[in-house]
This record gives sequence, C-alpha cells and structure tokens, in this order.
Amino acid sequence: MKKYDAVVIGAGNGGLVAAIRLLQGGAKTLVVEKHNLPGGFATSFRRGRFEFEASLHELNDFGTADNCGDVRTLFNELGVTDKIEWLQIPEAYRVISREENIDATMPFGVQAFIDKMESYVPGSRPSMEKFFALAEEIRSAQAYTNAQNGKVDSKYMVANYGNYVRCGSYSVNEVLDAIKMPKKAKDILNAYWCYLGAHCDDLSFIHYASMVIRYITRGAAMPKMRSHEISLALTERIRELGGEVWFNTEAVKILTDKDGAVSGVVLDDGRTIETRHVIANCAPHVVYGKMMDNVSEEIIKATNARKFAGRGFTMFLGLNKSADELGIENHNYFLYDTMDTAKQYDIMKKIATNEAQATVCLNRAYPECSPEGTCMMYFTTLYMDDDWANVKPEDYFKVKDMVAEKMIARFEKDTGSKIRDSIEEISVATPMTYARYCGHPQGDIYGYESQYWDGLTPRLLMMAEDHKTKGLRFAGGYSMRLSGYSSAYFSGDITGRQTVGDIKREG
Amino acid sequence: MEFKFKKQIFGFMDLLRFKNMTKVRREKLASAPSTPLPKTYRVNEVAKILHPGNQNAVLKQITLDTEDTKTYTFELSKPMFFRAGQYVTVRCEADGGLVSRPYAVSSSPYQALKENKLSVTVKKAGFFSDWLFDNAKEGDAFTIGDPSGDFCFDSVRDRKNVVGIAGGSGITPFYSMAQALKEGSEDFNLTVIYGARTEKDIIFKSALESLCGNKVKVVYVLSDEKKEGYEHGFITAEIIEKYAGKEFSVMMCGPSVMYDFAKKELAKLGISGKYVRTEANCCGLRDVKHAEYEIKVHIKDECAVVKANSEETVLTAMERAGLKVPAKCRAGGCGFCHSKLLKGEFSIAGADKRRLADKKFGYIHPCCSYPDSDMEIIVPQG
Repeated sequence: MKKYDAVVIGAGNGGLVAAIRLLQGGAKTLVVEKHNLPGGFATSFRRGRFEFEASLHELNDFGTADNCGDVRTLFNELGVTDKIEWLQIPEAYRVISREENIDATMPFGVQAFIDKMESYVPGSRPSMEKFFALAEEIRSAQAYTNAQNGKVDSKYMVANYGNYVRCGSYSVNEVLDAIKMPKKAKDILNAYWCYLGAHCDDLSFIHYASMVIRYITRGAAMPKMRSHEISLALTERIRELGGEVWFNTEAVKILTDKDGAVSGVVLDDGRTIETRHVIANCAPHVVYGKMMDNVSEEIIKATNARKFAGRGFTMFLGLNKSADELGIENHNYFLYDTMDTAKQYDIMKKIATNEAQATVCLNRAYPECSPEGTCMMYFTTLYMDDDWANVKPEDYFKVKDMVAEKMIARFEKDTGSKIRDSIEEISVATPMTYARYCGHPQGDIYGYESQYWDGLTPRLLMMAEDHKTKGLRFAGGYSMRLSGYSSAYFSGDITGRQTVGDIKREG
Repeated sequence: MEFKFKKQIFGFMDLLRFKNMTKVRREKLASAPSTPLPKTYRVNEVAKILHPGNQNAVLKQITLDTEDTKTYTFELSKPMFFRAGQYVTVRCEADGGLVSRPYAVSSSPYQALKENKLSVTVKKAGFFSDWLFDNAKEGDAFTIGDPSGDFCFDSVRDRKNVVGIAGGSGITPFYSMAQALKEGSEDFNLTVIYGARTEKDIIFKSALESLCGNKVKVVYVLSDEKKEGYEHGFITAEIIEKYAGKEFSVMMCGPSVMYDFAKKELAKLGISGKYVRTEANCCGLRDVKHAEYEIKVHIKDECAVVKANSEETVLTAMERAGLKVPAKCRAGGCGFCHSKLLKGEFSIAGADKRRLADKKFGYIHPCCSYPDSDMEIIVPQG
C-alpha cells in the first residue's frame, strides 16, 4: 500500500498552501483533487475571445514589494511570488445604495480615504480617525498573536492592545456606534460587508476592520493571468518540492484506527492510501457527514451548530465594446438596496428579491485583459438562504436567465451604463454550479458564516480545542480563518505548519 | 491619535466580554442537536441532474436514418437535463482501447430528464463512428458523459429569431432544439437552413417536418440535386434573407468549409461577431510526413510509454494504448484533458484555446496537440 506522511484532500487555495508547508517541513505529501484543475474557485475559463476570472475580485493584503502585505510575505516564504505577474487595483470601491441615495467612490490610502469620506460626510473625520486607529491596533495585535502562534499572554495583550481586547467582542455596528460615526459614513464604510458575507450587526468588528485596513493601506492586487495563474504557480511549487498532485481523483473515505486517529484515505478507484495525517480542504459537514464512520456525538453537534454562509451566483459577460464606449467607469462596484445590512441580508435570501451585487470590470484594472474594443465583467451575489433548492431542474435554465437579466438591468439603472446589447459571451454560475464544482453543501462559497458567536476571534482562540480527530485538520473557508482568498491561503499556512508539528511530535 | 475605546460604562466589562467569547462559542457548539449530518443537500441533488458526470447507459435502440447515418438511443442510469444543442461524450471499449467521442444530443431535454432517454445521431465518418456503425448492438453497455458545450440558445445574449445553418450530420443539435421548442424546454424562433448533397442524404426529414409550426421552420438546400420544393446550390445570403429577414442570431453546425462560406454570405446581410456562433469540430488526422515518437505518460503514480505518430493527436495515441485518460470536446476548447508537459515539442490544431497561465506553466490539451518529438506528460486519470 502506498504511504504518505500527509494527504491533502482538495487542491483549493487552502489545500495548495498547506501542501507546500508540509513539503517545506519535510513531509512526504500527496494532494488529491476531484476536479481536473487546481485552485477550487481560484481558476479561469475561456469563452470565445475572452478568458474569464472565475472568482477573484481583488486579492487583499498582498501589497507591493515596498509595501508588503501579509499574503505577499507568505507567498515569498512559499517561493511563489515571482512565478506570478501582479498588477494593482486602481481604487478601493464605488458603492451605490438606493435607499440612502449613496453613490460614493472611495480611494486607497488612509489619508485619502478619510479626506474623501469627509467630503461626502462633513464631520466624519474624528470617527474615521478613530476607526483607523482601532484597525491599526487590531492589525498589530494580530501580528503579535501570529508571532506567538496563538499562545498569547493575556496581561501583555491588555497592556499593549487594550483597545483590541475591549472592542474585540462586538459587531461592526456596535463599535462604529460607540465611536459615534455618522450614519452616512458608516453606510459608506460598510460597503465591503458582502465580501465577508455576514451583516454588520452580526459580523465581528475585528474581522471587518482588519480586512478594511489591509485593503486601504496596501491596496489590492490581481494576477495578470487570472487566479488560475496563482493556482498553477502553487501546483508548480508543490511538484518542485517533490510533492504529488493527482487530479480527477476524489477522496471518498477517511479511515481511522481503533483509537479514532486517522489511518488512511480511500480514493474513488477503491485504492487505499496509508497516512496518519489528512488536511481536508473541504466542509466538515461533508467530511463528518459522508467521508467518516463512527463520528462522535460531540463532533456531530458542533458541526450541526454551524451555519452555512452565502450561496454563490456569478454572471460573466464578455462585451463587444470597450468600457469607455459602454460608460463603465469603475473597477469595482457594490450595488445595494439599502445600507441597513441586516435588511439587505434578508432581501438576499430570495431569488425574487435579490439584485444586490459586487461587480467588477477587469479592464479598469488591466485594460489588456481582453482584446481591444472589448471588455469583461463579472457580477457576483450571495443568497443567504436555500431558495435555489426550490428551483426544479426543468425551470433551472429559465430562472438562471431571469436572474441574469435582473442583474444587468440593476447595473444599468444604478450606474447609467449600457451593456445589454453588447453581450458577446455570457456564462452564469449558480449555487448548483458551485455545488457541483467544489462539492460544497447547497452551493455555499463562503464556508461557515461569521455569526456573532462564531466569528474570527473565537475561532482562532479555539483552534486547539476544535481539533477533535487526531490526524485530521481543516483548511479553506470552513476553517479558522473563514472565507476569502487571503483567509484561505492563511488557513493553509496555519494548518500545514500545525500538521508538520504533529508529524514531528510523533517522531 | 491616542484614544481609549470603551463601550460599556466600565471598560473592564468590555474585557470580560472578550474573555467570554470562547465560553459562549463552546456552549453553542455543545448545545446543537445531535441529529445525523445530511448525506446530501437539495441544491447538490439538482446539480447532479444538471451535471450527472460519467454514467452507465444501455444502448436500447438503433435506427438507420440514411445509408450512412444511424441514431443510437440509450437508457440512462440517472436523469439528465441539458440545453438543446449541447453534446455528450459516448464511451466504450473499441478494438482494445477505451475510446470516446463527443456527439450532439439529437433527442429532447425532457426525454433525458423525465424518461432517462438520450439519443445521438452519428454519420459513419471516422474510427469510432465506423466502429459503432458496424459493431454496436442493442443491449451493449456504454458510458455517457456530462452534457457539455455552449452551442445553445441564450436569451440574454441572442436575438429571439435564430437561424440554424446545418450541413450534413450537423443537423443533429437543431433537431434537438426543434423538439425542445415543441415541448417547451426552450423558447425562441428557429429557422433551420439545412444543406445536404441530395434529398436522400437528409436526416430526420419527416420528423423535422412534423415539428414545423409557429416556432420552427425548415428550409432544405440541396447542393448536388435540383428538385421541386428544395432550394438548390449553397446557403447564400439571398436564401438566408428570403426565409429569415435581416435581424437574427446564427448558429452553425457542419464542416468548416461551410462556416467559411456562410460567414461571408452573412456579412453581406450585416450579421457578424456576436450574432454568429459555430460548433467546434473534432481534431482529426494531421496532414504531415509520418514520423514515429514515444510519449511517456504519468497518471497518478503509474507510468506508461506509448507509441505515437506525427499524424495523430496525443490523446488518440494514449487511447490507442488502452490508457484511461480524460477526453471531452476533442477540439481543444473545453480543457477537460488539461495535462502538464514535462518534455517535448508539439503543435496545436487550429487556434490555441488554452488559458494564458496554461501556456506559461506548460500545460497542454492532448486532444488538439500533435507530437513533434518524443514527449513526457502528466495526465489526470480518465
């Protein structure tokens, strides 16, 4: 029987990074991926003369060589930064919300951001300065926590990062109200909420602020050849380090021994691979529900307690006119009905009501991404409930087209650009597409929701406690760093290094 | 700016709350129900009907349509739903190798969904179609792949009036569309302009005529025969305009010489770019000097050396050697056979449809790549 020190199930963002960490730690590693490509959602696809980005809107926390973000530092350590050609996103975002009549375009750079906010909301400056001061302290506290590998001295924390600890248990809105931010400034600042998929009464302030500060101080990056370039670079690195990656190969079972520790993995061709360490880059719901026998009641309860986050929907358009000709001014739009995020979250539960969208025109960051005289757009939304489960197969294509029409109409109405008659290529991914592509329950693309009690901080604090099965650790959006590209990369980093530690301790 | 954040009247209450976060979460995790975790989910179940993956199918019926064309009807083991115009791969063992080919579905979407029935109509024109024509019999076991391809109507992109230009066996996707329009699984207006050599080469003639009505019109254009009730010659701008006017989207399925000719004719009517879509054709033999090569193929932890030659694609060489490798569109477009090139030279048939990063990191699509030297590649399992 073939034997490996570790098997990584799933070559998504988390799994690929975990595999490199395992190999760097000297572990003989096999990655199995049921799809024929690496990256999970981090991929691209071609239609006619366009190559579409499948999911990445902008990579957070990457920065530049001079203003290095944490993801770049990680990629440097992994040895992949230079395998990828990077470009910078020009501005932070444009947010349009109907109810409040907001149409604001926000820049990168803390000072520029605060100044722009002051121009939209006179009197917002003091609260914005407080926000960035808090966010900066959160970032320092997180750097300290990471340096200590999570084993922090609480007295030191309180003494040096008091604000971090004092604001750490509250939601975004609770903290913004406490620092007396004017409502309109809150509304503009909260635009990024849909990137984390929980509304601002639920979402942890620490989580949100640490994302915003990274965007605003380090800008956002994009690989030139779409996220497929990152995924192939990571795969290349795994092979350089002597690791194996088997595509079109699904792991169907994780075996355990009499003590409940991992002993092997069964593949779809019936073969068993012997290993004592598995990193699962997939949902615990799938692992414990389908891939393992004799799962303890404690684990089943803990898994049932979690809530699935947003189910994905993306429309990709290849347009036969340039962004200038069509009047598409910005790279990155957030279009909402309301900035009451809890209310917006409810509107996003139903197919009939949801038109909210995070929309990107890639040519505004990278004009040469499509042939001259054309441009590419992708429109993403989340469904906060399982309304797509009510769509019968025979109605599926009609519903998909209907939603596509609604998203286009909303974009045209809110931004004034005209795209409807210039669609040369269209492709639509629904929760069914995501369910099939990565096997996630209900087409969830955001892992477990960042609910009030299940946010970033308690997950990180309970990492050791959540590790219930000897030899089994998780990476990706369902794990301790929650969802999103940079989070998934970090989850792979953490879990890969932890597994190297596990292997060393075993001797 | 130095400031002290405080939410509660006493700052230590905020600290306490922070400390309590793990306790709260621990309690939440422990207090959820212990009901068994679901084995599957509703969205995932619908996804399985839209993308059933490779499935077993039994050949139920063979119909001779013309002297060199047969329709093969399969009973699927799982229901499937697709968009009329899409293709599936049909796979079985033939002459010692595991061989598959993509064929446009010629039956309707509801038949596959509601009766688990699916047909392909194949003209005898190459290795696998010859093999099927001469060997396949009712009761034989096959593997049918996912419905694939984007040769189908899109209400967001296309005009409601569609002209389907078909050449020879290229009529099959349009026959599926005509049935879909009748049963209501598709909704647009289709004018099929069907080019054939002579009347007896027309496939589905009476079936197509029975589907004609509000949404479906059929015009036959015979190139080698003059006959009452048929247009004669090639599919010209004049013929197209006569039956379809000037405002429509075009879908074409047939030989590439037909595409070249029809595109020029359509341009005269101002129809081009986004309004013209063509179905890709499989990469066949390459017309070059015969040379023999060896390809070292890694699949998982196994390795095989297969014989190849300059006229055949890398994929064909691997299939001939009996390797189980991924294959779908066979036209270089779908990327399903995506493989890593370790060593060797190759040429691509037609346009390079790989992703940008694939070129950069040395990935190839074996279905459209011909060897120009010995090669070494890593291929996913099929």
